[in-house]
Amino acid sequence: MAKPQVALYWAASCGGCDVAVLDTNEKILDIANIADIVFWPIALDFKYHHVEAMKDGAIDLCLFNGAVRSSEQEKIAKLLRAKSKVMVAFGACACFGGIPALANFTNRAGIFERAYIEAESNDNPDSTYPQTLVKVPEGELELPELYDTVLTLAQVVDVEYYVPGCPPPVDIILKTIDLFATGRLPPPGSVIASDKTLCDECDRIKGEKKITRIYRPHEITPDPERCLLEQGIICCGPVTRGGCGLRCIKANMPCRGCFGPPPGVTDQGAKLVSAIASIYQGESEEDIARMVEEIVDPAGTFYRFGLADSMLKRKRMQPPEGRA
Amino acid sequence: MKAARRVPLLKKMLAQLGIEEERVRLDWVSASEADRFASIVNEMTEQIKQLGPFNRNGGGNDG
Repeated sequence: MAKPQVALYWAASCGGCDVAVLDTNEKILDIANIADIVFWPIALDFKYHHVEAMKDGAIDLCLFNGAVRSSEQEKIAKLLRAKSKVMVAFGACACFGGIPALANFTNRAGIFERAYIEAESNDNPDSTYPQTLVKVPEGELELPELYDTVLTLAQVVDVEYYVPGCPPPVDIILKTIDLFATGRLPPPGSVIASDKTLCDECDRIKGEKKITRIYRPHEITPDPERCLLEQGIICCGPVTRGGCGLRCIKANMPCRGCFGPPPGVTDQGAKLVSAIASIYQGESEEDIARMVEEIVDPAGTFYRFGLADSMLKRKRMQPPEGRA
Repeated sequence: MKAARRVPLLKKMLAQLGIEEERVRLDWVSASEADRFASIVNEMTEQIKQLGPFNRNGGGNDG
């Protein structure tokens, strides 16, 4: 029997998800033993036209990492969807937008202004912006179009499975491959991780959740044994899916939420507003004002990985500013 | 009391997301203050009518 065909792709991502696949170390050879990798831009020299030449459904499993924020990424997402039997949103960006989706606090015009005009290191006296089409003596040059809004993979194509994490930990990658190879994949729509919250899996000492001050991580050296939230550090553990192996917590850093919301939670950020405000002690107007001030950037902190997948999906821009 | 802390924090977050402050209001009304309840609801309704329907992206496209 022919080996299953596997494709990997990166869209709006940092490359860390691809490195995580390589972090499986010698197990990568097992993956290569059970499957033929037919497309993997970061590692192998296959081109888009190789994928275009395949029959629909020829790829058995596609691990797609990165969010979708350009015309090229959308085109390849749709191409790979047509060619793949099973599409996996691989990593926090493909699942929830991830760090790139923080761009949803602005839009293309705002990004271009900052990156090509305002940035201190720029030398751009003619205010040149990237163009999708430029005529030069040799012909026309094309660039993909950058979108105003960063999208999750599932907002662009149908997705069968979600493998969260920034990046997905090695044990979950191997579990996904194993479930696929042995034909034991769960029902479509499943998230391949834990069904508990990170707090449920955390082994720190937990007492009564009452805090009187919020500390930013650089303002305090936390006790490595005790619950970080109880020490006044914003930890996304109560509103984040577990299964990550507590990587940040073991490094004495709070959870940033890269596994997305747990089952039953639609909006990770709104849930964390509720949780943090609940445990903060103080009833006077001054106490409440202090809490609001201490949480310097609630939207950026609570939707660090999940803005594209949140109820609002992006900052609401005032027209006509948003029309780029 | 939790609501008294949640709503100001929520408002700060919604402002970052470009949502008008007038769309969220927390007020306290006793069960015996029927008139006050009705006037607050009327005020809120009037305010929302002036703001117009909520448009999710308010001009941003692709999403």
